[in-house]
Amino acid sequence: MASEFELSRNITIGQYVPTDSFIHRLDPRIKLLIFTVLVLAIALNTSYVGNALGLLLSIYLFWASKIPVSYGLSGIKPAIPFIIILAVLQLIFQGNVFSGGTVYFEYGFILITSESIRLVIVSAVRFVEIILLSSVLTLSTSTTELTHAIQSLLSPLKKIKVPVHELSLIITIAIRFVPTFAIEMEKMMKAQASRGADFGSGEWWRIIQRTKDMLPIIIPLFNIALSRAEDLILAMESRCYTPGNDRSTYSVYKALGRDYLVLFIGLLFSLLLLFYPFPY
Amino acid sequence: MSGKPIIEIEDLFHTYMIGTPMEHAALKGTSMVVNEGECIAIIGHTGSGKSTLIQHFNGLIRPDSGKVIIDGIDLTKKRIDIKALRRNVGLVFQNPEDQIFEKLIGDDIAYGPFKQGLPLKEVRERVKWAMDMVGLNFEEMKDRQTFALSGGQKRKVALAGILALKPKILVLDEPTAGLDPRSRNELLDKIKSLNKLENLTVIFVSHNMEEVAYLADRVYVMADGTDVLSGTPEDIFTDKEKLQRYQIGTPETVQALYRLKDLGYNVTTSAFTISEAADEIIKVLTGGEVENHGK
Repeated sequence: MASEFELSRNITIGQYVPTDSFIHRLDPRIKLLIFTVLVLAIALNTSYVGNALGLLLSIYLFWASKIPVSYGLSGIKPAIPFIIILAVLQLIFQGNVFSGGTVYFEYGFILITSESIRLVIVSAVRFVEIILLSSVLTLSTSTTELTHAIQSLLSPLKKIKVPVHELSLIITIAIRFVPTFAIEMEKMMKAQASRGADFGSGEWWRIIQRTKDMLPIIIPLFNIALSRAEDLILAMESRCYTPGNDRSTYSVYKALGRDYLVLFIGLLFSLLLLFYPFPY
Repeated sequence: MSGKPIIEIEDLFHTYMIGTPMEHAALKGTSMVVNEGECIAIIGHTGSGKSTLIQHFNGLIRPDSGKVIIDGIDLTKKRIDIKALRRNVGLVFQNPEDQIFEKLIGDDIAYGPFKQGLPLKEVRERVKWAMDMVGLNFEEMKDRQTFALSGGQKRKVALAGILALKPKILVLDEPTAGLDPRSRNELLDKIKSLNKLENLTVIFVSHNMEEVAYLADRVYVMADGTDVLSGTPEDIFTDKEKLQRYQIGTPETVQALYRLKDLGYNVTTSAFTISEAADEIIKVLTGGEVENHGK
């Protein structure tokens, strides 16, 4: 029986699952690069077949990194309402955007064609693919590795005075604290429930009441976030952290043959998604 | 003093995050009985399952298997009156001052009673009673800002927020962790008087053995998800062999008395409260062995 408060169960972003698979051992820079290219390719592909291939690839990557697919899928759960709302809006309002296709239904401004249905299905699947891909990336790469990767991929931008190090630090901290705040929120919900609070039991149309019900969680969480930030600053300062300084790293990454092979295959796959004229 | 059983737990199992890579078993067959009006301490190392166990007491976590009956409510049933359960069992988390969210002290303490739908007059009385219980002056403190309080005072406010629910059972997770010695002693006295004078059943988790010796009628020792040992503080702290096996610390009084005994003095090692231990030591100092006390 799963607990009503087990929030961290559904948060797969920012968790690291060390299974020491082939995917885990890849150079994090290559992983991040290929992830970015793949997400772009998936975002631009509008065919059924292309997205089906993308979905298969994301599931294959879970298998290859020895992480249960069911765990990655549980990360989609919180996004389901969002996906549904998006789908409904697209179905109702997007019919006029694309010309062509068979008209299935027409009433007033509502126009449903084969093209708008394609858009609805493809964007829902696309969403799932992107969540799965980013889950594989964060589940198989530790935050330290990810920071190094972001930093070294962005380092050419240093020449035009982009604060690359600071940016990668901000991203790392943000990702790192997602599960931490899930745990804090879980604790806070439990603490307030012990005082008689109840969340989400009111009727859904009483939005103001339901928002008010969340205040006993939101306000303490803000406090905790701020004091955690303060602690983090102190901890970094006491270890003599100085922003902007050149720093050496403990681990030096060197891309091997297999890394280039993965990069090559990934690029090929992305090119296929981008430029091959899929029939459906 | 100890009445009929109010908490009955038998062979309780609980596993977190079932079906994920982070799955782990926190409770593996714990049993426990608490009688009405008792003060129970739960001790054990980090990860021994204490926090998981106490969250079963007010239904925040439901049992995977085993028997859990809290104040007549069977938690293994699917449909239970969870609100009634949480009214009867007040659970104070670690660092409860984090949960304060209202601007004024009085408002924060009144949150629980208001949520129960009590009339304003009743809420006001409860807030006053709860503030009296933790030693905060109602008239003086109720309109103070919560953010300006010291750590010890904040914790008292949080405790009052739970007491205002008028629970029958009060459960505290490391109530004195992180407090300065004075606030610590004050809080312990409040808990003791709640237990002895208001006849509240108190269960608390602690790492501080002095606290356990001072408050508890009985002690449960948890290790690796099960209750490995239970008994009066006297039973537990005098059982040297088991203390070592489960790596339980003892109050400093017990340590001192054991050392005296090892040096050949005639002391009773079960005298672990501070005044009893002092008597024992005085007995040694004024007795015939004073001359031998050469060191």
